Amino acid sequence: MSVFSDVIERLRSLFFRNREERELDEELRTHLQMEADYRRHRGQSERDAERGSLIALGGVERVKDEVRDARGTRWFHDVTSDVAFGLRTLALNPGFTLVTLATLAIGIGGTTAVFSTVDAVLLQPLPYAQPGQLVRLFQHDSVHPDERGFVTPVHFAAVRLRVSAFASTAALATYSETGADISNEDGVRRIRILPVSVDYFEAMRVRPAMGRGFLPEEESDSTVVVISDALWKEHFDRSRSVIGKTLSMSGRPYAVVGVMPAGFSDPIAPAIEAWTSLDMRPALDPTNADNHYLSVIARLRSGTPIGRAQAEVNAVVAALVKENPSAVGSRARLYPLKEDIVGSSSRALEVMLGAVCLVLVLVCVNVANLMLVRGSERSPEFAVRSALGAERGRLVRQLLIESLTLAIAGAVAGLVVARLAMSAIVVLGAGTIPRLETLSLDPRLLVFSLLVATASAVVFGLGPAMRASRTQPGDVLRDQSRSSTGGAGSLRLREWLVVWQVALAFVLLIGAGLLLSSFQRIQNVDLGVKPDRVLTFELHLPDARYDSSARARFYERAAAQLASLPGVRAVGGVSRLPGTGPFHSWGVRATSGPLNGSKRGRGQAQQRVVSGNYFAAVGIRLLAGRTFDARDISGAVNVVVVSKSLTDALFPGVNPIGQTIQTGGRAATIVGLVTQVAIDNEGRSAPFVYHPHAQFAGNRNWALTQVVALRDSRRDIQPEVRRALSNMDSQLVMYRPMMLDAAIGGGVAQRVFTLRVLMAFATVALLLAALGIFGVLSYGVRLRAREFSIRLALGAQRGAIRAMVLRRGLMVTGAGIAVGLGASALISRLMRSMLFQVTPLDPIVFGAAIAFMSAVATFAAYLPAHRATSMDPRSALQ
Amino acid sequence: MPADRTELLQGTLEMLVLRTLSIEPMHGWGIAHRIEHMSEDVFLVTQGSLYPALVRMKRRGWLKTSWRVTEKSRRARYYELTAAGLRQLDLETATWRRASAAVESVMSPRWATGSVTL
Repeated sequence: MSVFSDVIERLRSLFFRNREERELDEELRTHLQMEADYRRHRGQSERDAERGSLIALGGVERVKDEVRDARGTRWFHDVTSDVAFGLRTLALNPGFTLVTLATLAIGIGGTTAVFSTVDAVLLQPLPYAQPGQLVRLFQHDSVHPDERGFVTPVHFAAVRLRVSAFASTAALATYSETGADISNEDGVRRIRILPVSVDYFEAMRVRPAMGRGFLPEEESDSTVVVISDALWKEHFDRSRSVIGKTLSMSGRPYAVVGVMPAGFSDPIAPAIEAWTSLDMRPALDPTNADNHYLSVIARLRSGTPIGRAQAEVNAVVAALVKENPSAVGSRARLYPLKEDIVGSSSRALEVMLGAVCLVLVLVCVNVANLMLVRGSERSPEFAVRSALGAERGRLVRQLLIESLTLAIAGAVAGLVVARLAMSAIVVLGAGTIPRLETLSLDPRLLVFSLLVATASAVVFGLGPAMRASRTQPGDVLRDQSRSSTGGAGSLRLREWLVVWQVALAFVLLIGAGLLLSSFQRIQNVDLGVKPDRVLTFELHLPDARYDSSARARFYERAAAQLASLPGVRAVGGVSRLPGTGPFHSWGVRATSGPLNGSKRGRGQAQQRVVSGNYFAAVGIRLLAGRTFDARDISGAVNVVVVSKSLTDALFPGVNPIGQTIQTGGRAATIVGLVTQVAIDNEGRSAPFVYHPHAQFAGNRNWALTQVVALRDSRRDIQPEVRRALSNMDSQLVMYRPMMLDAAIGGGVAQRVFTLRVLMAFATVALLLAALGIFGVLSYGVRLRAREFSIRLALGAQRGAIRAMVLRRGLMVTGAGIAVGLGASALISRLMRSMLFQVTPLDPIVFGAAIAFMSAVATFAAYLPAHRATSMDPRSALQ
Repeated sequence: MPADRTELLQGTLEMLVLRTLSIEPMHGWGIAHRIEHMSEDVFLVTQGSLYPALVRMKRRGWLKTSWRVTEKSRRARYYELTAAGLRQLDLETATWRRASAAVESVMSPRWATGSVTL
């Protein structure tokens, strides 16, 4: 079969190229010997015979080339020699090669890493069956329609019962992140548990790998648990007969009814190790219609639009308002689950994406610029080669191969950069950007970046080569030997490229500057507490060993004991740390004073339960009345301490001390007025109501976070605290110890992450722009070396020449900044949601960016300017 | 060596090689000389063009090669017809016969100069 033999022969030629070449060599040698023998035999002299046989053959190398052509492998032979030649020339020019490689590596690697992140977090569907059907339900009041608040059990029960657009509706008690202690031979360990309603597994469309989910009759205080695959492996040693076994959590025995498949994780709460059945009995109490503590996820019936479900939800909520006075003013809204999960981080990722696109463009411009210089520098070489008879196609191919070699080497380096950048993203973004664990390198993205960078290298590398090979070799050579002031055309193009580089770098500088400024303001925001020198840790008391009065006694005793440790200023406990986000938001009603009974006498307030000397420990000051003390115990008169904004709203114009309110299902008397604290790290404030734990322990296990204020932050008090605790109860775990400023700062982590990424990009962009300015001016100086020398020889001031070069550089920079200013003004408003107390056109940030850019540009321009005047006129003129 | 030697007719080299090799396997130099000899020294084979032609023919599957030792005990690459090469020879021979007969007929003296009427 001739096609077949053709392919075989070609392949053979490729793979056994060396052998083929050897054999061809031998064949031709034999041929020449035979011909010479023949000629000698015919009486020619030795010398004539050898010469004649060579002539008859027509030149060994030519025949070899023709044979290679016939084999169909000549291109390969040529390409390999082109690659070898290309590598040699690249190695001879290490400065150019390294800069280009680094540029390509940063461009390809950075783009790939960031695109992969955005892809994993934003673009990939959630890892659940038909994820588009999953929605999340939030409640808000009529005043704050954008708020995404937790759902009350009453609303959840009503929606679950009455909304037919939902195939299943599940409630998750994510509000608390309460864990449980499990013990094995290694000691006690805290795991994260998530109480969920019956429909949870159905809504997620995930069945337990073993056993079952929960039953409707288990939505009470039943002790059944579904465990994660990880917990099954670790705690039950992969036992197949785990179903029905007992797992003791915080001293209470739970029956294992199911094991989830490996890889299943909750979409909202990370790292859950056990699911328990949510107690839904509070839904039966109508007064809980203003008690927001549930996360609700629902699955739309197949083909049902979210709008129809929303309409049904609206109807249900409106009906509840009529039936239930506690539900007044409440609204509910549905969001696609994915949007909700990635929502807060999507803007950050979009900004990163935008930044990395700018960097990629910058990289391409830089590569283009480098290739242009190199092309013009080599035009004499190409002129010589074409004068010596090199075909134009051959020259172009060689340049193409050089560009490709460079691009491929850049891509390999880029791959390394991408890997490093991605592990950095995973480490830096952990906990602040959801779904990062699914991050993987997408080869398509790598190929895309590679193509873009290669295209710029090839296009801008080939341009000068084509021009060089088109022009008359003589012109170029004459031009070069005279070293005239020519080449102005390409200089102008190159200057334009630098203008764009400066503009791009400027935009990134503005972005980084705005974030940096926001970040500083956040750091300086007054949270209403003194977060430094305060150690915090969670302390959970197992229900089995501690009933409510034991818990009440224990937390007070712990506060007193720890306060007696040396170096400790004050100790208390709280149900949620200040500045770490909203928590229990309950309705409050004034039951005395001027607004008693009026609509204005109702409101929402953040509720906190505190123990010990909490106010003093975190630095909340008492404005009037008293804080809690030993009098405020169960059975005594119910008391609360409130923040000033609450009394301003509910008790205008009267002394708030002694007034009464209704909240959290109890009536209480205000005994103290304290300063305002922030809900989150951005300083947003809300009215607060503080309940004494000793009086309110019966409501639920509050699992108070302890705060230990130290006189001196440098001392590590943790061992002493741990010892003191274990003296009180050896089985207790000091859970998640950290300083209060770190606990509050955790919320800033995403901001820090974006800031770091943008700063890194801005730095790279600045470097590239500086490199561009430096390169274009150096090139100009080199071209005009002769002119400068003549001027110097004729007596020009060195300073004047230096100023001329500097001016040129600053002109380019100025144009770049002007373009960058316009672009930044348009682009920076897209960042508005990420900014804090900084407008997108902040004059200080813009001014600083202009100054910084100019300084960098001046520095980059100074070196070539200096060189322009430091050369010896004689050497340049020779 | 006769003075009136002529270059090969365009496109006939491969046919001549096939014909030569149909007698016996031969090395490159031998093929060139045999063509000259068999054409009674009329055809001049440019030796350099022979080798690319051999490679092409081998790619088409008409030839196979083997290294053998000559009478003068030199190692040389011998070319040998394959079955496909033999078929190709028959094909080209037939085409050639028809073409040369046609050429012969055109050039025949029975067409008197200037008397062709259409």
